[in-house]
Amino acid sequence: MRELLLLGPAFRRYRWRYLAGALCIVGAVLLRLLVPRYLGDAIDLLRQAASLGPGVAAEPEALRPLLVRAVLWILGVAAAGGVVRTTSRLLVLGTSRRGIHDLRRRVFAHLLRLPPSFYAARPTGDVMSRVVNDVQFVQSLLGPVFLYLAENAALYVVCLSFMLGIDPVLTGLGLLPFPFALWRARRIAAEVQRLSRASQEGLAEISARVDESLSGQMVVKGLALEDFDYARFERRCREYRDLNLRLTRTRARMQALMIGLAALGPLVVLLAGGPRVVAGGISLGDFVAMLLYLQFLAGPTAVLGFVLSSLQRGRAALGRLGELLATEPALADPPAPAPLPPGGGALAVRGLTIELENERGEPRRVLDGVSFELPAGRSLGVVGATGAGKSVLLRALARQLEIPPGTVFLDGADLTSLRLADARGAIGYVPQEAFLFSASLAENVALGRPEAGEEEIAAAVAAAGLAKDLPQFPEGLATLVGERGLNVSGGQRQRVALARVLLLRPRLLLLDDPFSAVDAETTEEILAALAPLMRGRTTVLVAHRVATVRRCDEILVLDRGRVVERGSHAELLAAGGRYARLEARQRARAELAAGLEEGGEDEER
Amino acid sequence: MKGIDLALLRRLWPFVRPHRRHLVRGLLLLLLGSACRLTLPYLVKLAIDRHLTPGELVGIGWLAAAFVALGAIEMAARRRQMFEVDSAGQNALLDLRRRLFRHLQRLPASYYDRTPTGRVIGRLTTDVEALNELFSSGVVTVLGDLVFLASALAILLALDWRLTLATLLVVPPLGAVTMFVRGRVRRAYHAMRAELSAMNAFLHEQVGGMAVNQMFRREERVAADYDRISSGVRDAQLRTVRWESILSAAVEMLGSFTVALIVWFGGGHALAGGGAGDALTLGTLFAFIEYMQRFFAPLNDLSMKWAVLQNATTASRRIFALLDVDEALPEPAAPPPLPPARGEIVFDRVSFAYRGEPVLRELSFRVAPGERVALVGATGAGKTTVLKLLTRLYDPDEGRILLDGRDLREYPLRELRRRVALVAQDVFLFEGTILDNIRLGAPEIDDERARAAADRLHLDEFVARFPRGYQEPVRERGKNLSAGEKQLVSFARVLAAAPPVLALDEATSNVDSHTEHRLQEAVHELMAGRTSLAVAHRLSTVRDVDRILVLHRGRLVEEGSHAGLMARRGLYERLVRLQGMGEEA
Ligand SMILES: Nc1ncnc2c1ncn2[C@@H]1O[C@H](COP(=O)(O)OP(=O)(O)O)[C@@H](O)[C@H]1O
Ligand SMILES: Nc1ncnc2c1ncn2[C@@H]1O[C@H](COP(=O)(O)OP(=O)(O)O)[C@@H](O)[C@H]1O
Ligand SMILES: [Mg+2]
Ligand SMILES: [Mg+2]
Repeated sequence: MRELLLLGPAFRRYRWRYLAGALCIVGAVLLRLLVPRYLGDAIDLLRQAASLGPGVAAEPEALRPLLVRAVLWILGVAAAGGVVRTTSRLLVLGTSRRGIHDLRRRVFAHLLRLPPSFYAARPTGDVMSRVVNDVQFVQSLLGPVFLYLAENAALYVVCLSFMLGIDPVLTGLGLLPFPFALWRARRIAAEVQRLSRASQEGLAEISARVDESLSGQMVVKGLALEDFDYARFERRCREYRDLNLRLTRTRARMQALMIGLAALGPLVVLLAGGPRVVAGGISLGDFVAMLLYLQFLAGPTAVLGFVLSSLQRGRAALGRLGELLATEPALADPPAPAPLPPGGGALAVRGLTIELENERGEPRRVLDGVSFELPAGRSLGVVGATGAGKSVLLRALARQLEIPPGTVFLDGADLTSLRLADARGAIGYVPQEAFLFSASLAENVALGRPEAGEEEIAAAVAAAGLAKDLPQFPEGLATLVGERGLNVSGGQRQRVALARVLLLRPRLLLLDDPFSAVDAETTEEILAALAPLMRGRTTVLVAHRVATVRRCDEILVLDRGRVVERGSHAELLAAGGRYARLEARQRARAELAAGLEEGGEDEER
Repeated sequence: MKGIDLALLRRLWPFVRPHRRHLVRGLLLLLLGSACRLTLPYLVKLAIDRHLTPGELVGIGWLAAAFVALGAIEMAARRRQMFEVDSAGQNALLDLRRRLFRHLQRLPASYYDRTPTGRVIGRLTTDVEALNELFSSGVVTVLGDLVFLASALAILLALDWRLTLATLLVVPPLGAVTMFVRGRVRRAYHAMRAELSAMNAFLHEQVGGMAVNQMFRREERVAADYDRISSGVRDAQLRTVRWESILSAAVEMLGSFTVALIVWFGGGHALAGGGAGDALTLGTLFAFIEYMQRFFAPLNDLSMKWAVLQNATTASRRIFALLDVDEALPEPAAPPPLPPARGEIVFDRVSFAYRGEPVLRELSFRVAPGERVALVGATGAGKTTVLKLLTRLYDPDEGRILLDGRDLREYPLRELRRRVALVAQDVFLFEGTILDNIRLGAPEIDDERARAAADRLHLDEFVARFPRGYQEPVRERGKNLSAGEKQLVSFARVLAAAPPVLALDEATSNVDSHTEHRLQEAVHELMAGRTSLAVAHRLSTVRDVDRILVLHRGRLVEEGSHAGLMARRGLYERLVRLQGMGEEA
């Protein structure tokens, strides 16, 4: 039950509402149970009239006011019951929604603090499941489950006290089937919930199969695998049908249980109580009231099975959420942050070594003693094979990755001694994979400075070489892009990410292969446009094309996490090493492309 | 009939028809259960009137026994009925899904070029599920409801027609109120779900772009946005809570009001009659209350069923719109006798465009039976398109393609694809074992033959590292295989199927030199002894073939042997220089 502690704040904050809600629940139950009471009275009244026998005309008339009173009581009690009941629901269910809104915010605020490594380690779907499904389970805990439990508790207490007042033995007999029913209901409910989940998964499975078949249709059609593919799809559908039929059968069992319980109690009472009514042990009115009480209890008892299952699920969800909230961000502000010194973005890296865990959880040295000095306003190019560690280096510099203290210095200050926000504010980082939000192009560019004016945005867009693509966007800068908007090419994506950073005018620019999906010609144009912007700014530029880093003041060649060559373009060419070989290969390729006219170039699709 | 199109729903009948027996049985069971349900209160009435009131105990045992029996029958009938109706539904929808999938398979590649996959998937999942509601919510057995309502009404009238009429006069306005509230509940739910899915979309995006948010220090702004959206959800939820609370109170009040009414009218009536014989007895009063309550339950359901019907109409409109797409590549109605498979390919002035932009222009060439030909050209030259036309994924806009002297369009698609096997550039593995992926369900390929094919390509080398060998399950899209291994599996497929013509689109992915060597050998093995048209990226492949076609912007620009083309120092020679460079850095 420790998980429930997580609900503490919600309960504390809304304790008065919950208390009032609970009181209303008790009130509503009491009022509801009064109806059979008055009905019983009315019936006794009528029975009295009946027993007087025919011909005593005057007497029944005397009873009429009593009848009227009974009817009015029923009406009044029903109306009051309705009001109190509505209030109880508004209070409890409404409060659960408020409480859950608080919890959602708390979880999301925590997510915002967790570092990229947290997200890299798990699929987005997992994180979503915490914030969406688990929160939903907790909501039912705070709302419906609480409501049902409170209501049932009150119902049982009140019903039982009324019933015991009428006849304890009869009450005992009437309730005889209840424990068994509850036990059954609990099992059936668990089964229903299990099957529902399985059925949902079955549907997702069908959807995945169709998706697979459609994306593999080249193969399916090309090899005439229609029957094979169909058989696989069909099997899933059949499994899904069988699952659903089982679910229906289980649900039917629950229904039958409810009906059975609603019939069995009265039957027992009828059999056992009948003789007592005849013998005059209990009045007929009491007897009828007893029947009605039993029926009142039958429905909720069966539902209790579901409530208990939900309770269990809610607790498990709370446990998972608690774990998430207890995750301390590995990348956090230092306890006593140093102020960011003024400067032009001079960068010093001294013996930077980074180990990351591979898929099997074994640590691997991804950067190994990388050191370099980059004076303010200068530019550094980084080249190397895929997997050499270029991206990891940039992520480390961009404060996206935990780094050991005393390894990276920005304008003389240890990067780990600065507040994260300060460091990130001074650094403009364009990652290899550009991410666009579902927002307008302008909003995507102005991500770091929403207050930026149109002209500034246009200037950044132009500098990033995106201006010539604008005619392709139906509404120009106002075009919606991202997942729910226009599909933009990889190259355009990268240039949006570049424009985003240019708009911020940071002192240090970190560009991770921003032109990997941009053709060589456009890259040249962008580099030319960037030159004046880069001039006053310290820049680290990662590229897979030698031509891109050619103009950098210094170039590093990384290999398996180590710096293997360094120097200016001319120096490295003269050295005739790895860099020179790479350059020769790429030059040959470029010549070839030129020879094939425009149509022969590598096209990015 | 707002939003309900019966003509559309009637088109579902052919799918339900084969399972109508379940439906009929369900309906009969429903009636049986209803009959029991209607009799039970009457038994209680008898017990009260005949035995309890006069104090006559003889015979009450029989009543009790009947009560138990009927209760049991109702229970059993209801259980079975739910199951029967659902059987009809689930089976009908299974048939519908089968039919839809078969239809999807027939639609040509060009249809999918312009249709988002997500939408097609939605037809088979969400929309079919909406139809399922027709069964699970009891719309299809609404006839049973009507019979029940009529019977309950008849009984009520028989019990006491004045009381019935009086009650029915007063109750409808109250019923109307609950109907109205129910409508509001539904609307509120609809709005709430929209808010909820907007919130989930937002979350999905922000979680995906979390690093960007942090880099641009947008945490507070994003948190504020989320706060706003989450508040929207909360408010929408509060609205549903409000209407739902009112509804639950209204339903309960409706019940209590009915009771009060009956006591008022009936009781007054009984008093007036002084308990005389024809007047209302206590038992009748009790039964009356019970019947009234039973009468209202299905009435309440009807509005819900109406909404289900509306949803089902929308879903079937979409489903049938998809089924009505009639774009399949035409096949010969009565295929003429086909020539024996020799493996001769002729492209005769073939032109083709995907969407306006010409990709192949007047392309002509011939591949002799058993000849191995390589297609070479820059990215986008149209090489893959040639293979797509050869396997008739698309039809040419102009010109014709002949296989063994016969136009492709004269072949039944199945026969054509048995003769020409395509190895696509992106390897596609199905879920199942490695062996399954080689056999691909072909009945004529047994495990022996599949294994023999795999052995010829030395698959056993890498398969050995799996605990279950060839029976190792391939994980989602082949995650547990490397790029090279996946290619080998796709080659083994073709080797096992042994088609006369091979259309191979070589992959460009980087693999290590050992794998590279194995792939080279495999390609050689694959082309041996069969007509092959291969889009080649490997120098080894072009060296291996009899003839090379060089494609440039959809035209054939050079043709000849490797040595001859190299000597020409044209486009081909430059392309080879590029290929020969090996991998970058
Ligand atoms: N988040 C991570 N966890 C574990 N290993 C990683 C992670 N990111 C990258 N690596 C590994 O670090 C090495 C360097 O990767 P990267 O810097 O992306 O190379 P590149 O030079 O191509 O940019 C690779 O072997 C890669 O598998
Ligand atoms: N499904 C398609 N829809 C529209 N255009 C396509 C499609 N597939 C290919 N194309 C276009 O057709 C041209 C030729 O493509 P393709 O035959 O794949 O070239 P290759 O295989 O020689 O690289 C390219 O310009 C490509 O963009
Ligand atoms: Mg990288
Ligand atoms: Mg291709």
